[in-house]
Amino acid sequence: MEPNQAASDQTGPGSAETRSHFKVTRFIMEAGVKLGLHSIPVATACTIYHSFFTATVAPGPYDPYLVAMAALYLAGKVEEQHLRTRDIINVSHRYLHPKSDPLELDSHFWELRDSIVQCELLMLRVLGFRVSFRHPHKYLLHYLLSLRRWMNRHSWERIPVSAAAWALLRDSYHGGLCVRYPPQHVAVAVLDLALHCYGVEVPVHAQAQKPWWQVFSEDLSKAQIDQIVLDLIQIYTLDAEIS
Amino acid sequence: MERDLLRQALSFHGPTLLSLLRTEQHDNPDFRGLLPPAGPSLEPPREAQHQPPARKEKRIDNIEIQHFIAKKADLLFALSWKPSASTDSESNEENEDCYAVMPPLEQFMEVPSEDRRELFFRDIERGDVVIGRISSIREFGFFMVLICLGSGVIREISQLEITALCPLRDVPSHSSHGDPLSYYQTGDLIQAAIKDIDRYHEKLTISLHSSALPPSLSSTKLGVISSEDLPLHYRRSVEVASTSETYEKVLHHSLGFANPAVVEFLLGKLGLSESSPPSLMRGLQSKNFNEEDFAFALRKKQSASWALKCVKIGVDYFKVGRHVEAMNEYNKALEIDAQNVEALVARGALYATKGSLNKAIDDFEVALKNCPTHRNARKYLCQTLVERGGQLEEEDNLLNAQNYYKKALILDETFKEAEDALLKLRKHMQKSLEMREKQAAKEERQKEKKIETSAQKLRKLLKEEKRLKKKRRRSTSSSSSSSSDSSSDVSVSSSSSSSSDHKRHKKRSRNRSVSSRSSKKHSSRVSSHQRDQSRKDEWYSPPADTSASFLNQKYEMEKLLERQDRLVYQKTEVRERDRQCSLSRTSADDEDTFGGRSEDSRDSYCSSKTQSTSSKNEKQGKADRSSSNRRGSSSSYHWKSDDKTKTHDSRKLEKEVEGRKEQFRKCGSSQSMYSTSPAGSDFSGKSVEKNKQYSSTWLYEYSGNDDGSRHELTQSTNERRDYKNRESSPGETTKAKELDEETTLNGKGQSESGVKKSLPQNLLNIFNQIAEFERQKGSKQKNQ
Repeated sequence: MEPNQAASDQTGPGSAETRSHFKVTRFIMEAGVKLGLHSIPVATACTIYHSFFTATVAPGPYDPYLVAMAALYLAGKVEEQHLRTRDIINVSHRYLHPKSDPLELDSHFWELRDSIVQCELLMLRVLGFRVSFRHPHKYLLHYLLSLRRWMNRHSWERIPVSAAAWALLRDSYHGGLCVRYPPQHVAVAVLDLALHCYGVEVPVHAQAQKPWWQVFSEDLSKAQIDQIVLDLIQIYTLDAEIS
Repeated sequence: MERDLLRQALSFHGPTLLSLLRTEQHDNPDFRGLLPPAGPSLEPPREAQHQPPARKEKRIDNIEIQHFIAKKADLLFALSWKPSASTDSESNEENEDCYAVMPPLEQFMEVPSEDRRELFFRDIERGDVVIGRISSIREFGFFMVLICLGSGVIREISQLEITALCPLRDVPSHSSHGDPLSYYQTGDLIQAAIKDIDRYHEKLTISLHSSALPPSLSSTKLGVISSEDLPLHYRRSVEVASTSETYEKVLHHSLGFANPAVVEFLLGKLGLSESSPPSLMRGLQSKNFNEEDFAFALRKKQSASWALKCVKIGVDYFKVGRHVEAMNEYNKALEIDAQNVEALVARGALYATKGSLNKAIDDFEVALKNCPTHRNARKYLCQTLVERGGQLEEEDNLLNAQNYYKKALILDETFKEAEDALLKLRKHMQKSLEMREKQAAKEERQKEKKIETSAQKLRKLLKEEKRLKKKRRRSTSSSSSSSSDSSSDVSVSSSSSSSSDHKRHKKRSRNRSVSSRSSKKHSSRVSSHQRDQSRKDEWYSPPADTSASFLNQKYEMEKLLERQDRLVYQKTEVRERDRQCSLSRTSADDEDTFGGRSEDSRDSYCSSKTQSTSSKNEKQGKADRSSSNRRGSSSSYHWKSDDKTKTHDSRKLEKEVEGRKEQFRKCGSSQSMYSTSPAGSDFSGKSVEKNKQYSSTWLYEYSGNDDGSRHELTQSTNERRDYKNRESSPGETTKAKELDEETTLNGKGQSESGVKKSLPQNLLNIFNQIAEFERQKGSKQKNQ
């Protein structure tokens, strides 16, 4: 399994690295839910994680889970939803050792805590203290709102486009989409896929002078959307392979 | 599964999706029931319908998307994804601060106006709010051209030239006479509700009555509006139309877009939940998450185990006798986990061993509340309650003791110790009651002999007094202002009574003497209301009631208990506080007490003087004071009498003999005084009956004293001595004798001090003597 995977692009789909990052971002998301973290801080944590590993040399001497924990901690600070290291450690420990009892608050625990704080500092330096990101979430929600007004309200109520789009956007952080594409593009692509899933078309889309995605983002072409959608679907394929 | 949704998706994507779905979801029971009937039977017509427009833009990734849909169909078409919050709350509240209010999408898409018009008439509904300008006014109503929408669908309609009719009957009349339409002018901006839609002829009828609005929008103001009231999205769209800005730019320039809470706000608006976020990953379905893995649950568990560790360390300390360290550990454990049952039980046990039974009981009770099945907590609580009950019994607070035993029995019906203690206590109460009755009977006999002659005098005086009482009523205000004074009186009574107690029961004397002193604080605060009240009651009651006497001790136990029960809580409270105080100051008690007492008696003396506004005689005042010290209830009576005559004091005795019938009531009132006043509660010593006994003897003393002081001090003391002898001789218990001795002494001291008020030179000397004497006595007792 290793040789053909190594042959593929280092960041390409199915590479060992992508798989490992997928697993760790899955961990971030699960931990986020268990910590009661909102979507934006989780997205920030994932973005911090992804951009840390894009900024550092490929495998690196870093424990991805420690990086993930520090990313969660840092994201909580950045997005003003502060987390306590003790909770992060507890949830992570439980995730990595299912069904185990919480750690005792002994020296081992405090060392772990220190390592998170140290890792956080390292990440800040690696990222050049650029840790505030523009996420597609805000764009997507406004797009959804605009679309809702244009569509028939009964079909909108019937079809869970917003939920699907939101789920797709959250799931997209398993991969490096957030680092590679501008937020508006990701938001449009996610919305496009969600509409496709339910076979929904934007009303009188064909007659309009400007396609709806171009309204939302001027510099976006259909091909770009398709590329992002493909990347998105790839993440789900990876999910099916790994789990 | 959502059959409709699935059908729509299938019709959109064509037969390829159906076959993919069949292969992907063939083992999914939900789809098995859904697909076959939907498949063969419905396939031909659908293909016929939808093949023609089949995907003009057939994309490369289309097949990928269809694969994706097929794989995730079970999640995508799950019922649970239906937007839960029906977003009808979407009224015309457009808050620019919350989110970016955008102009309608079609304005940017540049949709042809025919399509817009068509969609408008498709989507507009009754109850929607529309805004337009009046174009013409006729006798049957007015027409207006719509410029924008206020609720429901938000569309760009200003260019569509849609007119709507508002019939006359839907125009509310603003005045009682005249044409309602005269109020309106062409060109007015009108906000109205859609009343009727003729979609075929594209005709709208609107109404200005708010009854046409849906309930969620009922607060919307209909009628003429100003241009500032136009919805924000319309104003934005006008701006955009003039500047031709892009959607993105408008979005970025909008203030609401920068709002940090915009995501949360819009999620709520769109009916999405952050607590259980949707996901198309099977591993991230929130229903698969275990509550136990959540941070809160883990933290709780961890804290509990951490606290338990501290408790263990504390228990180890406790075992080797290092109680301070143990307590620190327990407190630390409770800081980590405030509801930790083990820590509470352990701390309670430590409190119990340290003698702080009340704190121990508190801890056990909290522990038991958190964990009602905790066996140790229950056991310890029972034991501690019984122990505390025993303590109270020893202090003669039988009723409270009984309560503690009862509580223990409620917790554990089979707790033998509590049952035994309760039985024993009841017997004891019965016995002491009988004893007191006997004694009371004797006292009565003696009294009768002594004061028979004055019985007739009393009757006259009573009448006279009634008259006076009316007068007195008018001067209530003066008496009520003296509440602070009387509180100091009580403190004296408590201190002196405690000092008498002190000598009799050296075991408890220390606590009590101090507690009585500390109770001064309480008495001034806590009880002044109560006593005020009770005094007022007596104020207005007939004089027979107020002349409390303790001659007749045939007071029924039940009544007594009732009275006590009502006051148990408050009493115990005060006592507990006192106890804490007393613990902290065990040394130098005796001196303090005596010094304090003499001071107080002086103070109260002065105050009583001021109370008796018309006091003619200092002795009178003194007598008054001393008796009021003994019984708050009698004080008011005395003041009354002060106004009248000096001789009145003697009447009291006579009346006591006379008013046999009232004696029950009198007893009651005086008893209640004891229980209500903290001074009474300080008598935690020797049970209610005993208290009564004291008070009765005190009364005697003081009535005698009053008598004597009127004539001669020495005589009064002699009298009292006589009385004492008389009383003690008919086979009293030694306790009673001692008591009498004490009372005499105190009474003497006080009567002396009263006299000395007129002889200030001698006063100090004699006080010193008394203090010296009592100090000696106290130290003797200690030595004993």
